Amino acid sequence: MVGKPARPANAIDQTRRMLSLVTYLRERPGARIEDVARAFGITEDELVSDLDVLPMCGTSFRGGDLLDIDTDGERIWWHNPAALGAEAAEPLRLAADEATALLVAARAVATLPGLRESDRQALLRATAKVEAAAGEAAGASSRLSVTFESEGGVFADVDRAISERRRLWIRYYSPARDEVTEREIDPIRLVSVGHTYVEAWCRRSEARRTFRLDRVAEIKILDEPSAPPEIELRDLSEALVQPAAEDPEVVVEVGPGGRWVAEYYPHDSAEELPDGGLRITLRTPDPASLRRLALRLGPDGRIVSPQDLADSARRAAREALAAYDEVVTAYDGLDARLGASHAAGGVQERQYDRQERGL
Amino acid sequence: MAIAKAERLMNLALCLLGTRRPLSKRELRESIEAYLEAGSDDSFNRMFERDKDDLRELGLVIETVENLDGEVGYQARRDSNSLPPITLDAEEAAALGLAAKVWQQARLAGAASGALQKLRAAGLPEDVDPYEAHGALEPRIPVHETAFEPLMLACRDRRPVVFEYRKATAARPEPRHVEPWALECWRGHWYLAGFDRDRGAERVFRLSRITGKVRSRGGAFTAEVPDVVTVRETVASWAGETADRSALIRLRSGAGYPLRARATAVRELGDGWDELEIPYGHGLDAWLVEFGPDVVVLDPAELRADVVDRLRAVAKG
Repeated sequence: MVGKPARPANAIDQTRRMLSLVTYLRERPGARIEDVARAFGITEDELVSDLDVLPMCGTSFRGGDLLDIDTDGERIWWHNPAALGAEAAEPLRLAADEATALLVAARAVATLPGLRESDRQALLRATAKVEAAAGEAAGASSRLSVTFESEGGVFADVDRAISERRRLWIRYYSPARDEVTEREIDPIRLVSVGHTYVEAWCRRSEARRTFRLDRVAEIKILDEPSAPPEIELRDLSEALVQPAAEDPEVVVEVGPGGRWVAEYYPHDSAEELPDGGLRITLRTPDPASLRRLALRLGPDGRIVSPQDLADSARRAAREALAAYDEVVTAYDGLDARLGASHAAGGVQERQYDRQERGL
Repeated sequence: MAIAKAERLMNLALCLLGTRRPLSKRELRESIEAYLEAGSDDSFNRMFERDKDDLRELGLVIETVENLDGEVGYQARRDSNSLPPITLDAEEAAALGLAAKVWQQARLAGAASGALQKLRAAGLPEDVDPYEAHGALEPRIPVHETAFEPLMLACRDRRPVVFEYRKATAARPEPRHVEPWALECWRGHWYLAGFDRDRGAERVFRLSRITGKVRSRGGAFTAEVPDVVTVRETVASWAGETADRSALIRLRSGAGYPLRARATAVRELGDGWDELEIPYGHGLDAWLVEFGPDVVVLDPAELRADVVDRLRAVAKG
């Protein structure tokens, strides 16, 4: 199975698991290790370490009445199920955190536009039943919510192509180059981490690529079979885009108004500057793709290196300004002086924006 | 060797669940090996109090009863601890199985698995692999912000908090005293909505801008918690998605696909340029500047002035 999050051993998680485990095992003499581990969503090693602890546990306050549970490595045997009274073996009520974790996740998954309708209905029914069973513990779950986003039509086509193992043709927008390119891809899986992505083998670049669904301009399912090479799937807990060590370095200096760059771009370092800004060092396979960032920053930051990138941003800005002299004058006869007085208004506008954004 | 904490917690839980009458601290100490080995009364008492809290965290309802001699007894009664009957079919079980896997935050991932395990113990069908049942979809809820867990607990327990918060454009963080209402994840980022005591009004905070520790404050909330807390609407307006006006721009043919995708009207001019009408919300100026010489703003004049300002700053270097 892919993408199962690895978690450090935790006494609370283990205790809650063992409490459910005794209830479960009581009903199933000779249960197979493999099946129990799967039902509990844990590894066989984790299960075996629980089975090591359980024989040290018991219910009688006089002692000497420990659970006699053991395993031959394949099946689990409980020789004295009566040691646990009916009271202690009942399935336990859900805790507030448990109800919250399960209900918030279920409601979030139900918002995925690409979910099959029958699955969504099943999820909604299950959510209502869990809410009812959790009772008061479900109350706090309204204090947490998650919205996934994905483009419904594109999602459905990708999902279908994956299940029918067919190749896809897409027109895909790349913001780095501000261009839409056509490619054929062999889809592998859909991933929702904030945005929804399809991980695929790209036939144009003969490499693994991740495509954000909201950047797919057009999509078609082809008749050709999809044949992605066997590749190891990445751990999803890592960021989707990981710069490589050999990628060229870019240094950006931002003022206080450009500190958001450090939140949005994975970077190697961000040093505080005396004016409240940051000096950010990051790596990218394609520094030219950061021209957009340099332009966007405007007065709030500048590219320190590489020089090529700084120059290209400056050239682009000058070229853009030249267009204003021509096109805008033609459009409404606006002259440079009028433009300047509007510019003053622009400053006020941005200060207002800052207040709003800085909430 | 010290006895593992999970073993100690398990024994305490089984004792409290199995007993038909409240057990005193002394009785519990005598029946649980880890407590016998605890050493001094002080260290036993501390351990016992912590363990009770941990079991309550797991959802165990532990009652405290005083007997005639003034001795306190503890019991986890069956009627307050057992799961009400719940029957889920295989499809419903598979759907919950998928949901239980989406958390990437350790505490919630543990809690979601715990919930599923309790349902499993109560007979939840287990034949279906959720990934099989749900095709190729793997939703994940990312949680990278360290402020998440303390704020989640503070929202749950309705506890006021204080944290250092650096506004988007501020150089230094400032302390904010907040009554936290709700957390919401949108586009992969977490936001907190709550009552800001210093400003006396509702505010939305982005968790990645909280620096340092989130500290709890004593006392209760002073402001009423609204029935419906809206976080996403506020954040969407910051992101410029609640546009109430429109702008007219010229865009080079073939460039600026996302602008075209949002345009309400497109007119080909035939000279290598198109004219587009697009929604004008917060932050549009910065976005348009990204397209450099491929975009010219025609109207309104204030947007054009903002874009020209930004371009001048870049042109100066």
